[in-house]
Amino acid sequence: MVSANPTGTPLERYEALKAPAEAAYAAWRAPERARIDVAIDTSSLANGAKATRAAIAARIAETNATVDLGQNHGYGMQWLQPLVTITFPDGAAVVYGPVKAEQAAAIVDIATGRTPATSTLAIGTVAGTREGIPSLRDHPFFALEPKTGRRLIHRLGLTDPENMQHYLGTGGYHAAARMLDRHQSPAQVRQELIDSALGGRGGGNFPAGTKWNFLATAPGDEHYVICNADEGDPGAWVNRVIMEGDPHLLIEGVLIAAYATGSKGGFIYVRDEYPLAIARLEAAVREAEAAGLLGDGVLGTSMNFELRVIRGAGAYVCGEETGLINSIQDGRGMPRVKPPFPAGSGVFFKPSNVNNVETYANAPMVVEHGAQWYLEYGTERMRGTRLFSFSGDIQRVGFMEIPFGVPLAGVIEACGGMLPGQQLKAIQSGGPLGSMLPAREVPNLSMENAPFSALDALMGGGGIVFLGDQVCTIHMAEMFTQFVEEESCGRCTTCHGGNQRQTEIIRRTIAGDGRHEDRHNLALIDRTLQFSNCVHGQFSPKIVRNTLRFFSDEYERHSAGRTCDALECEGLIRFRVTNQSDPRLAEAQDICPTAAVIGGPGARSVDDALCIRCGACTDVAPNALVREAKPATPRMVAIG
Amino acid sequence: MPLETESRAQIRALISEFRPNHGDLLAAMHRVQHEYGYLSREAMEVIGEQLHLFAAQVYGAASYYEEFRFEPPAAVDIRWCSGPACRARNGGGIRDAILATLRVPMDGQTEDGRVGIRLGQCIGTCELAPQVWIEERATHTNEVVGELNAAKAIKIARALRDGATAREVLGQEVLRG
Repeated sequence: MVSANPTGTPLERYEALKAPAEAAYAAWRAPERARIDVAIDTSSLANGAKATRAAIAARIAETNATVDLGQNHGYGMQWLQPLVTITFPDGAAVVYGPVKAEQAAAIVDIATGRTPATSTLAIGTVAGTREGIPSLRDHPFFALEPKTGRRLIHRLGLTDPENMQHYLGTGGYHAAARMLDRHQSPAQVRQELIDSALGGRGGGNFPAGTKWNFLATAPGDEHYVICNADEGDPGAWVNRVIMEGDPHLLIEGVLIAAYATGSKGGFIYVRDEYPLAIARLEAAVREAEAAGLLGDGVLGTSMNFELRVIRGAGAYVCGEETGLINSIQDGRGMPRVKPPFPAGSGVFFKPSNVNNVETYANAPMVVEHGAQWYLEYGTERMRGTRLFSFSGDIQRVGFMEIPFGVPLAGVIEACGGMLPGQQLKAIQSGGPLGSMLPAREVPNLSMENAPFSALDALMGGGGIVFLGDQVCTIHMAEMFTQFVEEESCGRCTTCHGGNQRQTEIIRRTIAGDGRHEDRHNLALIDRTLQFSNCVHGQFSPKIVRNTLRFFSDEYERHSAGRTCDALECEGLIRFRVTNQSDPRLAEAQDICPTAAVIGGPGARSVDDALCIRCGACTDVAPNALVREAKPATPRMVAIG
Repeated sequence: MPLETESRAQIRALISEFRPNHGDLLAAMHRVQHEYGYLSREAMEVIGEQLHLFAAQVYGAASYYEEFRFEPPAAVDIRWCSGPACRARNGGGIRDAILATLRVPMDGQTEDGRVGIRLGQCIGTCELAPQVWIEERATHTNEVVGELNAAKAIKIARALRDGATAREVLGQEVLRG
């Protein structure tokens, strides 16, 4: 625990915190004896990091190994989780993965020096060198990251995110301390932000400094800064990475915003699905309070700033800023009409500023290094670097920090291309209110808003999902229409009614009952939804609109042709027994959850009326049954 | 004033730190649900008294969010991930297979209360798609089972339905053989 220094100027107080932290961090980076750090983050835990850590601890105990056990955050290569880093006494640190519990003994042996550091599990070095092991920076996954190293997430993999000394020891809170030491006035901080052209990272790219000006010049002295950490877009987890990997960075960013806008209170609103982020942030807030960096009289100045972590409860639309504000103040998290904007009337009807996690997390860099330094990366329109999470049918799933403007084709290459046997079919970005673009547009796309906007698409908040050619875009569109329907707050009839109708039409198409007039009606719904009061309603038809435009042929094949070439849409496919003598056919009969595989040995068949198309039978007996197009049946023609 | 029942007193003690007009409602509801597994009518009344809200306002807020429940939860919930990376790998088939196995609708539970299925939102562990989480209330277990297919999902659902613990499922014993 870091405790506050009772006297001195802000910088003196800060230095008193930093000196011991720096020493502690130096000792951590070059430990007296080797240390094994198991990555503990949402991704590693899902991949079994707890079992890995327990197995390593057991092995250390059992062999009396002179090795310590610690933790860090994963480096971005989620497909290689659980990641483990060994830091040797000379300061060299090697990342290994995937390290399952079964590899615990091998890892402990490497750490003790019993076996060499080179191992088939070795991925690369993150500090120092080891013969025969490349630098992790040379891994093709990081080819697009800044050559001079990461900026926003430079601590990831190199610190323990639950140790405040590591943050302080790597220069953390210096920007805030210097600022508080009257190095910069609030107006100067805001100007620096404006000069840096830092844009809102939630997707809108609205200049953060300008937004801060709105709040700073708002009437009254009760102002609030709010951090939107309700990262709800499926496929986007970049805010999670910052909160779990470097929680004090976000706190320092919010603290800077509070100073620059004259705010006495702040909220970080985190989605319920991120319990580890919430726990780490809450602990970090308590530590920062104890160190005198939050609370009354921040670093001995007259600034009071109370920061609270609010846990959401599973409502996507709370990611809309007025919905989020309503959710904080004891209510239903329903968006409302703007204006008034939050700077006029925000939380508790007081002037407020809402920014995304990554926007705040960039502020310490800008204040520390200045706008010019920040402008080094990015494009004319979008400055700096940003985090992206990449998932779907690619070889390498994970996150990276890349400058705005790199070509999408390069991203796909860094991600190792598509999985074997698959071709890229669609790029899904911006979440459920975002877009779906076809592979043929890849040459026209780079990682900034403009090329996406030119295609009526949205790059969004950092999540990009690459979909292979086994995916049916109509089927995928249904997932998103259902999502936006369920997450509609219900205030606007256009939104709650329009989205129900949109889902019904897509569902009916999937069921094999597409109609000629559907396209017209979907366009009508689209136009009607534009009259919704918030972006949820306005953007909710975007994916369907994209699908009708860019995957028009596939849509027509479904609607008029009654055919799903990807063999996904339930009403257009069937399962059929093709090999009665396959011994696994009995297993398929057993696994079927609706007893749709009927008949005895030699005479088994699938009862199409019972079959729910879950695919369990072909999972267990891929050579005994086939998923195939359903033969066209005569259609009822309505009369009159 | 009527005598305070024991359960009301317990709930009141649980949320005594929360204040009116202070943005504490979500935290209070989370606290009660973590302890009791759901929000009873009584709990919502006590929360309302504590925060100077009508019980209807508490219910109005609670019912807005996916996470809050008004009935006791199942002993184990299968949390089905609804994200796109999972969906691209037969996530929909996995959902339908679990629903058919348990014979319940989404967010429902078996009659004996042993196992339920709930809609899950993407947490960004898409390297393991398609996936479900296994949430066991008694042990506060919440772990991902990834790289599923429909057949494995059925085995998990059947095992839980037939009395297996989350630990047994997470040990993947049910997926072997």
